Amino acid sequence: MRGRLVLRKLGWALVTLVVVATFNFMLFRVLPGDPAKAGLRDPRLNQEAVEAARIRFGLDKPVFVNLEGGSPFDSQFFRYIGSLAEGDLGTSYAFNNRAVSDLLGRALVNTIWLVLPAQILAIVLGVVMGLVAAWKRGTAIDVGSLLFALFMWALPTFFLAILLLFFGGRWLGLPTGGRVTLGATYESGWEQAVDILRHLLLPTIGFALVLIGEYLLVMRSSVMEVFGEDYIQTAKAKGLSTIQIIRKHAFRNAMLPIVTLIALNLGFTVSGAIQVETVFSWPGLGKLTVDAVSQRDYPVLQGTFLLLAVAVIVANLIAELVYLRLDPRVTEV
Amino acid sequence: MRTRTAMTVMLAGLMVVGACGTQGETETTAGDGATTTTGGGTETTAAPAGGSTVRIGYAGAPADFNPGVGVLAEDYIFYDLTYDTPIGLDFEGNFIPELATDWSVSADGLTWTMTIRDGVTFHDGSPLTAADVAYSISLYRDTADFPFLPTYASHFVTVEAPDPTTVVLTTEAPLAAFEAQMVPMYVLPSAIWEGVDAATFTNEEMIGSGPFKLAEHSQDEFVRLEANQDYWNGAPNVGEVIFQTYTNSDARVQALINGDIDMITEFPATAIPSLRNTANVAVADGNYPGGRLADIMFDMIDPANCPTAEGGVCTGHPALRDVTVRQALAHAVDKQQLIDQVLLGLGEPGLGLVPTSLGNWFASELVPEDYAFDLDLAAQMLEDAGYVDTDGDGIRECPTDECGPTGDLTFRLNYPTDNDEHPRVADTLSGWWGEIGVAVQIQGLDSDTLTSVCCPTFDYDVILWSWNSGIDPDLLDVLNCDSIPSGYSETGHCDPEYDALQQAQAIETDPAARREMIVELQRMALEQVPYIIPWYYPRIQAYRTDRFTGWPDQSPILQLEDPLSLTVISPAG
Amino acid sequence: MTVWRKLLRHRLGAVGLAMLAVAVLVAIFAAVIAPYDPYENVRVSIDDIYQSPSPQHLLGTDDAGKDVFSGLVYGARVSLLVGFAGAFISLIVGGVIGLVAGFKGGRLGNGLMRFTDFFLVIPELALQIVIVAIIGQSLRNIILVIGLLGWTTSARLVRAQTLSVRARKFVERARAVGASDLYILRRHIFPQVVPLMLANAVLTISLAILAESTLAFIGLGDPTVISWGQMLNFAFTRGAVSAGAWWALVAPGLAIVWVVLGVTLLGNALEDLLNPRRGRHFLEPEPAMPAEETVGPAAERGAPAVLAVQDLAVEFVVAGARMRAVDGTTFSVRKGEALGLVGESGSGKTTAMLAALRLLPPGGEVVGGSVLLGGQNVFALTADELRDVRWTRMAMVFQGAMNALNPVRTVEDQIVEAISLHDPDLSKSAAQERAAHLLEVMGIDADRGSEYPHQFSGGMRQRAMIALALACDPDVIVADEPTTALDVMIQAQILELLKKLQRELGMALVLITHDLGVVAESCDRVVVMYGGIVAEQGTVEEVYSDPQHPYTKLLMEAFPDMEDPDRPLVSIPGLPPRLDRLPPGCRFAPRCPAAFDRCQVERPPSYVLSPGREASCFLLESRQVVGV
Repeated sequence: MRGRLVLRKLGWALVTLVVVATFNFMLFRVLPGDPAKAGLRDPRLNQEAVEAARIRFGLDKPVFVNLEGGSPFDSQFFRYIGSLAEGDLGTSYAFNNRAVSDLLGRALVNTIWLVLPAQILAIVLGVVMGLVAAWKRGTAIDVGSLLFALFMWALPTFFLAILLLFFGGRWLGLPTGGRVTLGATYESGWEQAVDILRHLLLPTIGFALVLIGEYLLVMRSSVMEVFGEDYIQTAKAKGLSTIQIIRKHAFRNAMLPIVTLIALNLGFTVSGAIQVETVFSWPGLGKLTVDAVSQRDYPVLQGTFLLLAVAVIVANLIAELVYLRLDPRVTEV
Repeated sequence: MRTRTAMTVMLAGLMVVGACGTQGETETTAGDGATTTTGGGTETTAAPAGGSTVRIGYAGAPADFNPGVGVLAEDYIFYDLTYDTPIGLDFEGNFIPELATDWSVSADGLTWTMTIRDGVTFHDGSPLTAADVAYSISLYRDTADFPFLPTYASHFVTVEAPDPTTVVLTTEAPLAAFEAQMVPMYVLPSAIWEGVDAATFTNEEMIGSGPFKLAEHSQDEFVRLEANQDYWNGAPNVGEVIFQTYTNSDARVQALINGDIDMITEFPATAIPSLRNTANVAVADGNYPGGRLADIMFDMIDPANCPTAEGGVCTGHPALRDVTVRQALAHAVDKQQLIDQVLLGLGEPGLGLVPTSLGNWFASELVPEDYAFDLDLAAQMLEDAGYVDTDGDGIRECPTDECGPTGDLTFRLNYPTDNDEHPRVADTLSGWWGEIGVAVQIQGLDSDTLTSVCCPTFDYDVILWSWNSGIDPDLLDVLNCDSIPSGYSETGHCDPEYDALQQAQAIETDPAARREMIVELQRMALEQVPYIIPWYYPRIQAYRTDRFTGWPDQSPILQLEDPLSLTVISPAG
Repeated sequence: MTVWRKLLRHRLGAVGLAMLAVAVLVAIFAAVIAPYDPYENVRVSIDDIYQSPSPQHLLGTDDAGKDVFSGLVYGARVSLLVGFAGAFISLIVGGVIGLVAGFKGGRLGNGLMRFTDFFLVIPELALQIVIVAIIGQSLRNIILVIGLLGWTTSARLVRAQTLSVRARKFVERARAVGASDLYILRRHIFPQVVPLMLANAVLTISLAILAESTLAFIGLGDPTVISWGQMLNFAFTRGAVSAGAWWALVAPGLAIVWVVLGVTLLGNALEDLLNPRRGRHFLEPEPAMPAEETVGPAAERGAPAVLAVQDLAVEFVVAGARMRAVDGTTFSVRKGEALGLVGESGSGKTTAMLAALRLLPPGGEVVGGSVLLGGQNVFALTADELRDVRWTRMAMVFQGAMNALNPVRTVEDQIVEAISLHDPDLSKSAAQERAAHLLEVMGIDADRGSEYPHQFSGGMRQRAMIALALACDPDVIVADEPTTALDVMIQAQILELLKKLQRELGMALVLITHDLGVVAESCDRVVVMYGGIVAEQGTVEEVYSDPQHPYTKLLMEAFPDMEDPDRPLVSIPGLPPRLDRLPPGCRFAPRCPAAFDRCQVERPPSYVLSPGREASCFLLESRQVVGV
C-alpha cells in the first residue's frame, strides 16, 4: 500500500517535471526580444556572427512543430525536450561555448555551501525557540520570541544583508565578498577553516536570521497544537514530567509540519539566495539567475528554472518520504 | 558601442586595448598611418617574483577565454594580460611597438610590412614567429562566427609571413588607421588553434605570449594569473594577480578599506570622500581608454529612409525631425549641472561623438559653438518655429497636424535600466524640458528591449544611453546613411554629404588633412543635433598604497588593471 | 463590528492596525508631512549628497542630495499602492480559482489544484525577475506581475475552506432541495470564506510589499517613482555603505519593516479572531492549589474509600470571567466498588475527575476542597510526588480513545512507557511482557501491540486504552464515556470487560457517563451531577427505584424502563445552566417543576437521607437523617 504510494508520488513528480520543462520553454519563447542577440546585442556586431549564432543555437528552426518540410519534430521545442531527455541542458548564450550544466553545477555547489549551514542554523534555532515559546506560552519569553520572529519575517532579506555588510564590514572588518581569502597561504588547516568561517559568517547569519522567523512561527503553533492533543493529557496523566512529555510525545509530532515547510521553503530559499548572493558577491545560483536575466541568457535561465523545479520536487518527495516514516498514519495524500 | 554597468559588452575594435609596453622604449610616435617606428630597446630587469600577489576587485567576470568570441569588457582584461598584439597603445594614447618592432607602408599605401620581434616564446615554451601573427590575423578575418574582430581584420586582402620575422599585409584601399586595426590582433599559437574549431574553442588554457599566464579560474568568482617569468620584456615585479568578483560596489569598496584587496577597478563616485579619508588608500581619476560618453539620442529618421525590410516602424515623434526642436532641447540641458548631480562633479561636459580622450581628434575649436544652457532662448526658438501651447495645458503643440490627436510635444523617454545614473538624468531632463513646454513619458527598459525599440526599428522618441569610443574616431559613422538598415545608426541621421566625407577620411593617410575632415564631421553633427552628449565619463579607480607602489595613475588614461600597470608596480616596503 | 472591537482588544492586533494606519495616513497626507517634494527638481551641489541627518534634513540626504525623510513619506504611497493593488489581484484570481476548485471539485477542481501545484515548483522571485525584466519595469507591470504570481496561497486556502463548508450539512441540505450554485455560494460559502480571506488578504499585502521592494532592490523597480525599495536600490548601488550614509539605507529599510510588521501583526490577529485555534495546552504551569487543608473524615461506609472527593470546587477563567464548574462536590468510592458519575455535559463530572489528578485544562483552577487518593491529599503533593501518584493510584481512560493514544508510537510502546516509568527497576523485556499480557487480557492479540493506534478499530483502541490504564495496577480507574462512539455490540463488550476486571482485580471504578443504562448495568453506586453540584447519590437500586431529587426523577422518566417499556419517555424541558450565568439559588430551579420561592434565592445543601444516600433539594430537608 505504501509502496504504491511512493510509486504514485514518483509518477507525479515526473509529470510535474515535464510540465515545468514545457512551461520553461514556452515562457522564454513568449517573452519578447531576440535571444539570438543575447550577449551579442551590439548593433555593430558582425551580422554573419549573429546568423551563425542563430544556427548554432537552433533558433532558425520553427518554434513548436516543423511544418516547413523535414521531420515535424525538427523544431526548437522537440530539440529542447530531446536534449533534455539526454541530460543535456544546452549551451549558454552569454558564456559562449560553455555547457549550461557545467555553469549550473558550479553555481549549485556554491549555493549549497551558503544555504546548507544557514538552513541548519535556522532550523535548529527556529525549532528550539518555537518549542520554548510554545511551552512558555503567554510569558515574556513567548511574546519576545513571537515579536522577534515576526520582525525577522518582516525584514526584507536584502536589507538585512546590506545591514550586515555595512556593520559587519565596517566595524568587524569581516570579508564583504567571496568564499575564501584568495591568494592566502595557510599555515594550518585550522587557519584555513577560520578563514572560510569568516567569509561564511555574514551571509550565513543574514540568511539564517530571515529563515528563523518562519520556522519559529510554524514550530510554535505546531507545538501549541500538539500540546492541546489528548495524548499529551494521557502522557501527563501517566506521570511523565514535562520534559519527558516534550521529548517523547510532543517533539516528533510537532516536527511534522516543519518537515513539509523545509521542502516547501526551497522556493523561498532560492529567493533569499538571490538576494544574499547579490549583496555578498557569492557566485551561486541566485547570482547566476540575475546575471542570466540581464544577459537574456535563455538556456541558462531554462536550466536554472528546471534545476530549481527538480530541487523543489525532490525536496517535496523527500519530505513526503520522511513524513511517511515519521507519521505511520499516512497512507495516502 | 553600448555600455552596460554590470556586464559591459565590449566592442573590441572600439575599445582601447592597452597592450603591454616597456619603460625602456626608445621612441614612440602617434598613430599616423605612414610613419615607421622603431622600438624595443633596453629591458628593465625584472624583480624576483616573490610570493607577492596583487588582488584586484572588479564588478564582473570573464565569460570567454577565446579572444575571437569575447564580448565583455572583462574578457578583454584577460586577453590583454595573456596575449601580445603587434602594436600597443600607451596611456598617453600613442601607438607603441609590441610584437612588431617596426612597421611601414608602401608608396601606394596598399602594402604594409611589419617586423616581428625575434625570440618571443609562448607560455608553453614554443617560439612565436611571424607565421603565428599572420595566422591570427587571417583567423580573425575569416571566422564569421567571431562577433567583432573580423571588422578589423577585414581590411586586409592578403596576410603573409614570408620569413619568421616579417608579416606583409595588403589592402584594397589606403588605410588611415592601420595601427588601430592592429591593437586588438591577439597573437595566438597557430600550432594549437589549427587543430580546433575556432568558433567554439573554449581556450581554457589561454596559451599566449603576454606578461601573465592564466593559472586558475572559477566562474563568477575569481581568475588567478601568474607572472610569465620568460616574458620577452622582462618578468613582471609581482608574482601573481588575482581578479576577484565583487558584484556590489559597496562590498568592493569595503574590501579595499579592510585590506582584503589591493585595487578596485571601479566604484561609485559617492565613495570618493570616504576613500580619500582612509589611510593607505589612494583614489585616482582619469579617462577611459578611448573614452566613454553619455548620450541623449533623438529618433529623427525621415520616413522615406525607414528600413521597413529590417523591421523598421519609425514611430518617432514628427517634431523631432525638425532640427529647431532638437536645437531648442539642446539649449535646455545644463551639462555641468548633470555632471555635478550625477557624477559628483567628476567628468567633462560633452560635445560630440569624439571624446576629449582621443586627444587630437577632439574638436576643441567647436566647444564655443556648443548650445549654451538657456531655457528662455529654447522656449523662444520653439515659439518662433510655431510650437505654441494653444490649449493651455502647459505643453506646446505642433504647428502641423501630423503630431497625433493632441498635437502635444510629448516625447517617450527611454533608457537602459542597468545603469544607475539614467533615472536621475531622466528626472532632471523632464524638469528642464517641462519648463519650455515639452513633456516626457519616462520608462526604463532593459538593454535588450531598448535595442529592439531603438534600431533599426526606430520605435522611440528619445533614449538616454552611452557609448564607449574606440581609439580611432570611427564612432562618427553611426551617423552614416548606410548604417540605418544594419541598426548601427540609432538616430536615422542621413546626409549624403556627411557620408561622402566620412568615406574620404577613412582613406586619408595625411593626419592633418584627416583631422580637418573629422572636425568638419563633428561640426555637421553638432549643428544637426542627432545626439546631445551631456558628458564624457571620468574613470575612477582606487588602490592601497601600503601593498604595492608605482601605480601609473598620473597619465590621461587610467587603467590600473592593464598590463602597462601590472608589469610596473612592485611590492611595497 | 464585533470583529473590530475584538481586534482592538487583541493587543498585538491593535498595535499592527495602528502601525498600518500610520503608514496609510502618511501616504495620504504625504504632501503635508514631507518638508520637500522629492519629485521636484532641485539644483544640488556635491555638498548636498549624503548629508548626515540635521534639522534641515531629519534623516539626511541621499545620493542625489534629496531629503530622505521626504522620500520616505512619498515612498509610502507607492509601497502601499503596490501592496494593496497586488494583493487585490492575487485575491481575486486566487479566490476565484480556489472557489471553483473547492466548490466544483471533481476533475475541474483537481485539475485546477494541480495547476496551482506547478506554480509552487517555480521560484516566484526568479520568475518575477524574468518577467519584469522583459516586459518593462513600470509600476503597472510590477503590480500585475506581483499580483498574478502571488495567487497560489489564496487559491489553496479558499479551496480548503470551501471544501470544508461544502461538506457541511446545511450546504448539503440546500443542495438536496435544489438550490442553485449561485445561491449556495452567496448564502453559505461566502459568509464562511470571506472572513478567512480577510486575514489572508492582509498577509498577501505584506508579501506584495516585500516583493516590490525586492524587485526594486535588484534594480527592477519602476525608476520613475519613489518607493522604499527604490530608495534602497539607489543607496545600495550608489555607494551609501562606502560613504557611511547609514541613514539612506536604514530609513527606507525600517519603513518596509514597519509596514510589513504592522500588516503581519494585523493579519495574525485577524486569523486568531476569525479562526481561533484550540486554546488547550496541557503543559501550562498549574495554578496554585487551595492552601487550606480541609481534609475531614469522609463519611465512612464500611471499607475505606480509595478515592474521596471532599467539597471540591473548580473554577474556570474564561475571557477574564470566573465560572464555577464544580461547586462543593463530595463523594467517594471504595475498593472494589463501581461508581457511576452521571449528568448532562457541562455538569462537571469530567472536570471533577480531572481535578482529582490535577489534570485540569488551562484556565481551570481548584479553588477549594480536597481529593484523597489512598488517604493522601492530592492537592498537597509536590510535583514529584504527584507524578508518582498518577497512574499508580488512579489511572484514567480518557474520552475519545482515538486521540488519547499518541498516533506515532506503537500501542505496546505506550504501555511499556507507563510501566517502566513507575517501576524503573523492571527490565525492558519484563515490561514488554506485562504490556503483552495486559493486551491479551483485554482481548487483543499481543502481536498487534507493535501496531499504531490508527491501525486499530475503535473498540480495540478503547480496549488498548484500558490496557494502558491497567499498566500500573492502579487503585482506581476512571473511565470517561468509555463507550461513546462505539457501536452497541462493542459497547456491551467493553462494559463487560470493565466490570470483570474491576471485580477480578478488586479495583475501584469510576464510570463517567450520561447513559443511565450503562450505570444501571455496571455500577454499584451512582452520583448524579447537575450544574457542578451533586444532585443526588446513592446505590444504583436506591436511586433508580426511588429517585428523590426532582432532576433525578425527570432523568429516570427519560430513561426507558426495561421492565415497563410502555411508559412514556419524558424529556426535561429547558437547557442545562450556563456556567457564566448560574442561578443564585438552586441550580435546577429554572427547570424544576417543583421549584418554589426559596429555591430561587438559596442553595439547598446536601441532605443525608441514609448512609451513603444524599440529595440536594429543599423538599428533602425534613427527611434528612442527622447524626449518622
